Amino acid sequence: MHSSTSNFNRPIPRQPWRGMTVAVAVGILIAVTCWEVYCRSLGYEPTLNDTSDLWTEARRRVQPESIVIVGDSRPWFDLDLDELERGLMKRPVQLAQAGSCAFPVLEDLANDQQFHGTIICSIVPRLFFAPAGPPLEESQKAVQRYHGQTWAQRVSHELSVPLERSFAFLKQQELTLPDLLNDIPIPNRPYAQVPPPLPPYFCSVDRERRARMVEQCVRPGRLQTRVKNGWAALFTPPPPPTYVPTAAFVAKMQKAVADRFRNTGICVDKLRARGGKIVFVRFPVTGQLKKLEDEQTPRAQTWEPLVQQTHVPGIYFEDFPDLASFDCPEWSHLSAGDSVEFTKRLVPHLRQALQINSVAVK
Amino acid sequence: MLFNSLTFIAFFAIVLSLYWSMRSWNGRKNLLLVASYLFYGAWNPPFAALLFSTTALDFYLGRKMGRVKTPAERRVWLWISVAVNLSMLGFFKYGNFLLENFQWVLARGGIQYKPPHLDVFLPIGISFYTFHSLSYTLDIYRGVMQPTRSLRDFTLAVSFFPQLVAGPIVRAGDFLPQLEKPPQPQTGRFLWGLLLMTLGLFEKVVLADSLLSGSADRVFGYRGPLMALDSWTGVVAFAGQIFCDFAGYSTCAIGAALCLGFHLKDNFRFPYAAIGFSDFWRRWHISLSTFLRDYLYIPLGGNRRGPARAMINLIIVMFIGGLWHGAAWTFVAWGLLHGSYLAIERLIKAVVRPAPWMNSFGIQLLIGAITYFAVLVAWVYFRASDFGTASRLIGGMFGAHSRPDAILSTREILQVALVTIGLLIAHWSMRETSIEAVVQRLPRWVVGGAWFLMAGAIILTQGSSNAFIYFQF
Repeated sequence: MHSSTSNFNRPIPRQPWRGMTVAVAVGILIAVTCWEVYCRSLGYEPTLNDTSDLWTEARRRVQPESIVIVGDSRPWFDLDLDELERGLMKRPVQLAQAGSCAFPVLEDLANDQQFHGTIICSIVPRLFFAPAGPPLEESQKAVQRYHGQTWAQRVSHELSVPLERSFAFLKQQELTLPDLLNDIPIPNRPYAQVPPPLPPYFCSVDRERRARMVEQCVRPGRLQTRVKNGWAALFTPPPPPTYVPTAAFVAKMQKAVADRFRNTGICVDKLRARGGKIVFVRFPVTGQLKKLEDEQTPRAQTWEPLVQQTHVPGIYFEDFPDLASFDCPEWSHLSAGDSVEFTKRLVPHLRQALQINSVAVK
Repeated sequence: MLFNSLTFIAFFAIVLSLYWSMRSWNGRKNLLLVASYLFYGAWNPPFAALLFSTTALDFYLGRKMGRVKTPAERRVWLWISVAVNLSMLGFFKYGNFLLENFQWVLARGGIQYKPPHLDVFLPIGISFYTFHSLSYTLDIYRGVMQPTRSLRDFTLAVSFFPQLVAGPIVRAGDFLPQLEKPPQPQTGRFLWGLLLMTLGLFEKVVLADSLLSGSADRVFGYRGPLMALDSWTGVVAFAGQIFCDFAGYSTCAIGAALCLGFHLKDNFRFPYAAIGFSDFWRRWHISLSTFLRDYLYIPLGGNRRGPARAMINLIIVMFIGGLWHGAAWTFVAWGLLHGSYLAIERLIKAVVRPAPWMNSFGIQLLIGAITYFAVLVAWVYFRASDFGTASRLIGGMFGAHSRPDAILSTREILQVALVTIGLLIAHWSMRETSIEAVVQRLPRWVVGGAWFLMAGAIILTQGSSNAFIYFQF
């Protein structure tokens, strides 16, 4: 029988523990230093990781009358917070997330009884109307973290910030063990339905979650080509599942899209009922990616009905020559320099759409 | 607070510094108590009050049991303890499950009733700390220990932060004696504890979360028919993931306790090298299996009332064991499968006489392979969210689908295969020994090299880790 009053002692292996610990600690220090130097030699620089905790920190900054940016990676790259603050007289809060659907965040803000500010919502139809999958999960994860973040998670985040600001090798989504293994070129079975890889690292992120494209990606070269090649796979819808009849699957998708239209309208109405404002923005996209998006998600079937049904003012970059003249180096986002100029030019359109009449602060 | 978080590193460093710099043993125990409640309250502070209330009640009932003279009176106080602890567990963990099943039974009888959904949060680790606390009153009732006079010591025994939320299930009788005398500082014990924590984190962060969980999640999350290769890869990945996740937590807990001068027993002993199912349960989640054996199987009669009753007892115990893991019939199915395995094994042992050839390495390996295979089949029910997913996956494993899909990349398949082969080799080569004995035998450069590689891999994996699976139980 198990003794309930035992004086159990675990054996301690005999080894020269002190010397070994010192050797391991020194070895780790040297290895980490070498790895950091190597990562920097590849062009990586210290940057914050855009985690759910960083998003939660930004979400906490939202005040009842704040201007909030929601959506995908385009407003994340393309909007300069300083220029927006200058033009709209308030510093906006950046809540857009790469590869995500704006709807869960829009819904969360619409359900926040305290919030009656302004929302600048980016629309990339492929992401905004995504019925399920990673785009939706990414936003839902962030919203859940905001509502359920423990103080232990908050402390971990605070501790991670100075580390991430100091070490380039702490870049997640690119330099972690799983990502490094992912880069090993091993051919897949031709019939395997493997999700496309995400584009490689091409931005830095600051504490306010302002993303800036790295210079390596602005110039034509290997990184820019890799990023461009990544879009085609990500923006091409996967084939319908083999285990559901195609007609049933199509009907389900159509219903999901119709629901998204309707639910977006409900969110807009809730927000407006409290005096809030919202504007939809279609940010610049160029090259092959623009062709692909125009084919897959035509404006007439996505943007137009959304704006009409919700009665939300919309700014489509192509409709304005001053916004349409920008070139996206990797087809999807503006360079850090261009994002400042783009924001400057966007501000008057935003002011008009949001009916902001007072004089901008110079 | 997760072991694999920066908060825990800071928290543990502060606790260790204060703990070993204090001279007063009472002061150190008070510090550990505060630290443990801080550790637990980091998730949801009000649940710390719940933890304290059940602990205080068991302390009070234990004292009552110690004072009464007759077994009948002791039994009354025991039943109060069991009823309160299990009611608490039942309400938080099984409330909605019971209501849903009640609704289903009524619907079968033609009565339409929709019970209100209980909007309750599951207090993290409730299954573990309920058993920690319950072991105290059960052991006093059995007469194997005397009630403690210190509420502080008992509260610390239940809430000791290394083992509080995901085990091992440490019985008060194993821990309370260690609170009598202060442990002396020992460099070897402290650094061995740190090495064990590194090993545990390596298992969790690198093996479970980075190399195995992705494949398991994709396969178990897929709603369609899968090819045999993908199905098996997903199931094998989950088998590795749950071992590395849970054993990793236990190893961290043992290591953290050693750093503080406390000794916790092993919770795993290389279970995938088990030869037979009773052997498996002597190696897997040992603290739960011994708990169920001592407090349920033996009181039910164990094997003292004949082979048939012993088999029924085994199935009852494993049914409860399955339900302990979660409020879902899939967990019950997992438990019943293991109960059936144990019953069949007992039947075979009763019929087949042991012969020397059975002890040959080849036969032992064959039985080990059959055991591993059956354990894998049972894991399908443990991990699947519903029976539909489980049966689809079982079908996939045995090639039952006509147009199956392939969803895993070649890299994922290779990754799972390599980790699993490594895991099985490690388990089989160490099945008759302990990690301490192996480390003592190895040259220092091998131990130091392994420590360096594990720590390096953890740093390289940084930030991409998840919560421990067993937290939800």
